[in-house]
Amino acid sequence: MIELRNVSKTVLSGNAPLTIVQPLDLTVSSGQYVSIVGPSGSGKSTLLGLIAGLDAPTTGEIVIDGVEISGLEEDALARLRGRKIGIVFQFFHLVPSLTAFENVLVPLEIAGAPHASDRAAALLSEVGLDDRAGHYPAQLSGGEQQRIAIARALANEPPILLADEPTGNLDSANGRHIVELLHRVNRSRGTTIVLVTHDSELASGTDVTLRMRDGRTERLAPAPLREVLA
Amino acid sequence: MTFVLRMVGRELRASWRRLAFFFVCVAVGVSAIVALRSVIQQVGVAMAGETRALLAADVQIESEQPWSEAALAIVDGILGAEPELSRTLSIETPTMARPADESKVVARVVELRGVQAAFPFYGSFVLEDGRAYDHGLLAGGGALVRPELLTQLDVAVGDDILIGDRGFEIRGVVLREPGGGIGAFSFGPRVLIDYDDLLETGLLTLGTRAERQILVRVPEPRVDPLVASLREPLRDEFVRVRSYRNTEDRIARNLSRAEDYLSLIGFVVVVLGGIGVWSVTRVFVQQRVRSVAVLKCLGATSRQVLAVYVAQVAILGLGGALLGVALAAGGLASLPSSLTAQAAAVAGVEDLSYGVTGSAVVQGLGVGVLVSLLFALGPLLEMRSIKPLALIRWNLITVAARDWVQWTVVGALAAGLVALASWQAASWEAGLWVCGGFAAVAAVLHAVGRTLVRLVQPLGAGARFAVRHAVLNMGRPGNQTRVILLAVGLGSFFVIGIHAVQANLLGAFALEIREDSPDMFLIDVQQDQQAGVRELIEERTGDAPSLIPVLRARVTGVDGRRTQLDSARAVRRRGAGREFTVTYRDRLEANERVVEGAFWGPAGPARPEVSVEESIRDRLDLAMGDVLRFRVLGRDIRATVSSVRAVDWDDSRSGGFMFLFSPGVFDRAPHSFISFLRGPPETTARARLQRDLVAGFPNVSVIDGLEVIATVRRILDYVTLAITMVGGIAIVSGVLILVGSVAMTKYQRRYETAIFQTLGATRRSLVTMLVVEYGTLGVLAGAVGSIGALGLTWGLSRHLLDIEWNAAPLVNLGGMLLTALVVGSVGVAASLDVLRRKPLGTLRAE
Repeated sequence: MIELRNVSKTVLSGNAPLTIVQPLDLTVSSGQYVSIVGPSGSGKSTLLGLIAGLDAPTTGEIVIDGVEISGLEEDALARLRGRKIGIVFQFFHLVPSLTAFENVLVPLEIAGAPHASDRAAALLSEVGLDDRAGHYPAQLSGGEQQRIAIARALANEPPILLADEPTGNLDSANGRHIVELLHRVNRSRGTTIVLVTHDSELASGTDVTLRMRDGRTERLAPAPLREVLA
Repeated sequence: MTFVLRMVGRELRASWRRLAFFFVCVAVGVSAIVALRSVIQQVGVAMAGETRALLAADVQIESEQPWSEAALAIVDGILGAEPELSRTLSIETPTMARPADESKVVARVVELRGVQAAFPFYGSFVLEDGRAYDHGLLAGGGALVRPELLTQLDVAVGDDILIGDRGFEIRGVVLREPGGGIGAFSFGPRVLIDYDDLLETGLLTLGTRAERQILVRVPEPRVDPLVASLREPLRDEFVRVRSYRNTEDRIARNLSRAEDYLSLIGFVVVVLGGIGVWSVTRVFVQQRVRSVAVLKCLGATSRQVLAVYVAQVAILGLGGALLGVALAAGGLASLPSSLTAQAAAVAGVEDLSYGVTGSAVVQGLGVGVLVSLLFALGPLLEMRSIKPLALIRWNLITVAARDWVQWTVVGALAAGLVALASWQAASWEAGLWVCGGFAAVAAVLHAVGRTLVRLVQPLGAGARFAVRHAVLNMGRPGNQTRVILLAVGLGSFFVIGIHAVQANLLGAFALEIREDSPDMFLIDVQQDQQAGVRELIEERTGDAPSLIPVLRARVTGVDGRRTQLDSARAVRRRGAGREFTVTYRDRLEANERVVEGAFWGPAGPARPEVSVEESIRDRLDLAMGDVLRFRVLGRDIRATVSSVRAVDWDDSRSGGFMFLFSPGVFDRAPHSFISFLRGPPETTARARLQRDLVAGFPNVSVIDGLEVIATVRRILDYVTLAITMVGGIAIVSGVLILVGSVAMTKYQRRYETAIFQTLGATRRSLVTMLVVEYGTLGVLAGAVGSIGALGLTWGLSRHLLDIEWNAAPLVNLGGMLLTALVVGSVGVAASLDVLRRKPLGTLRAE
């Protein structure tokens, strides 16, 4: 499903090269719920960006659903994301000029999906916000905005959902709602989820947890096993 | 496709207010184009229906000389063969009119026309009292005059005026006359009298400038054949033949040229609006980075995103253009009726309807949409380089490298603008010149602006918080300084420039008057009047005037080493076919010097010789020893070219002549005299001299140079006003761009202000900051315009107008201060609401 082979990312910091992600191999199989934890600046979000095709790796190959993406052009990547990858951000990134309903509708329209309006309405209802359809992002609370963002990410039923600190900007009650929502998505739809967070509690419910530090990954025991050990 | 269309709708819904100013930028220029084109087209339509009235006939045969027997024989022969034909005679001549009441000391130059009973064949007179015109009003010593003559001569209907040796009773005031032509140069107001009366005035003496006309009415199908059959044989008799249709063609040509050139003014304003569009779009794109990144994250391709925004710009451009059309329609509808009536009178038509015309609307819409697209495309293309990664890494700076697509767009913009300008001017050459000129002026002003901004940057190191930040704001990323400097600077450049040119021109005229240059001109003094005229003038001014003998001559052939022209027609083709005023004397005047050949001595040469002016030598490519053939008073005269003179035309004391003959050639030929003299300085003495000259020598015309200068000054005022209005529109565009850019950067400004407030900045220091920032911007914009204007006036004065250059410091300083005031107040006023918001609300929203 997601395969990273010898993937690294080096950028120029001033004039000196800085490696944000050290060469790594990673395989996430279909339906798996993986979390990546680590302190700020450890390279988590960069790794997520690489998987989403938002950035190109310096070395290595990234294969999404059998397609090697590191050689793809910007527009081909956009199409691939439209079909296969949903993304949820820490700062929600809803389009401020569109209503909640329209924000969910947009990816369906881009993909030219049939019955787009019905699907968007169903998704809003799935995240419990059908009564907020006509509101603009500025009129919604942070938790509501993030639920809309998740509905939007799921619009085209992508096999993969990438979430970058989805609760990082929310209070604990709203954060919990989002965590539950993601679990439900993973279980009921079988969506593969890669979650980046610095909150180890949030990571605890996932199938696999990777810890990143200074660009290197280290695989922790799968969650159920850790629970047993604890 | 659905996605693109729907997104266009949603984006417009969200941001039309923010982009409302985009409309206005486009609308101002479009309304100028639509209004100008519509008015001229309607004038054209109105006049097309009345071209027969402009000539008052189907065909006009016209000669500046008394009809020669040969010419009359030709005319009679051809007209006699027409079965259905009416004809009538008319004469037009500039002359002097004065009140019969001796107590009124005044005399004025008038355009006298004598007509017969059959006049006019077409068109009708409009008299002030509403009476119908009848030739009886003229017959037996009657006159119809233009209203302005009544005031000039202080007379009323029923009073008598004297013209030549005769008295005429003013029987009516004519507001509109058929056969008056349009926009023709005139020496003075029209006076209409009976044809036979005119012959009795004794005015038509030798050398009098008069146009003798035969007006003809024939059935429509005969018009063209008649003109064709008359024109050929009459050409060598120096007789002009034209039909109302020639007039129609000429009017149509002139109007369409006027329409095209005036629309270029509108085009320049649209381009200024385009610069505004460019600047708005640039800020808009910066504000849309996040949304575009989100769309790309959701799977939208660059092409789809670009399509959304290009379509949006096209719709906004169309909206702006429609607004422009509405403005033009509203503006035209609200023109005061007195103005439209005046315009109708100038155009010589009964009534003008003012509304927008279909073709003007199409042109305006086309230009509006195309300019919007051309200017918006550059900034919009930057959306291609927005990476969705920006959603994760805010510090990611995407530097759009200038790739081939962008260069292509720049090329397309340039080519598109040239094409648009050429379309508007209906000429590639004009299009290229306008675009090139605009680009050159913009580049110079832009460079001046950059230098000035750099010069004020050291102020940014100053100690005061408000001043420091105000100056720094002008150089911050995303600033609008350059655009505002360019747009406002261009506007003030036009306005200051034209006022400075006017000041220079008026200064130059004033200088000429201050010196001992002549300010009164006498023409048509006859040989037997010389002594009397000289005596009268000497008595009144203390100086004996020099009377210069003049004749009117045409070149009819050149027998030269390099040039061989054997007919008047061949000479005409070389551009020397007009009738020249020539003189003879045995010496050079102070304003002449010989540049080639040798001037004859006091005794004069044995055979006729002629000295030509430089430009004539160049035009006819003459060499010393070439023989020129002239037609003077119906006789052919041959003279050998013996010298070439350079004439200083600015020094008009002795006049300037293209052809100067050796003495003896015309001694016995009848000729008249002209004189350039300096009249008495006070008004009453001047008027009395004029009056007494005309009373004693009725055929002599006295032209008052001071009045000519007053007229020139009036014309100059009109031109200045017109150009000031264009510059004003440019300044309005500049101010709009300023308002727009303030509005567009308001969000960022709000955030900064909130932070400053949180950090303890008082409202007072924030207001000071705004005042200093926009005040400096205004001073710089004014300085840009002023420096450009100095260059313009210097270039025009020295190279085109050939007058003394004067920096006109008051005009420049005034213009600069006014610009600073406008920009300062508009900028501060548009930004004030930023200060009204509470800082917490702003910071939370971010």
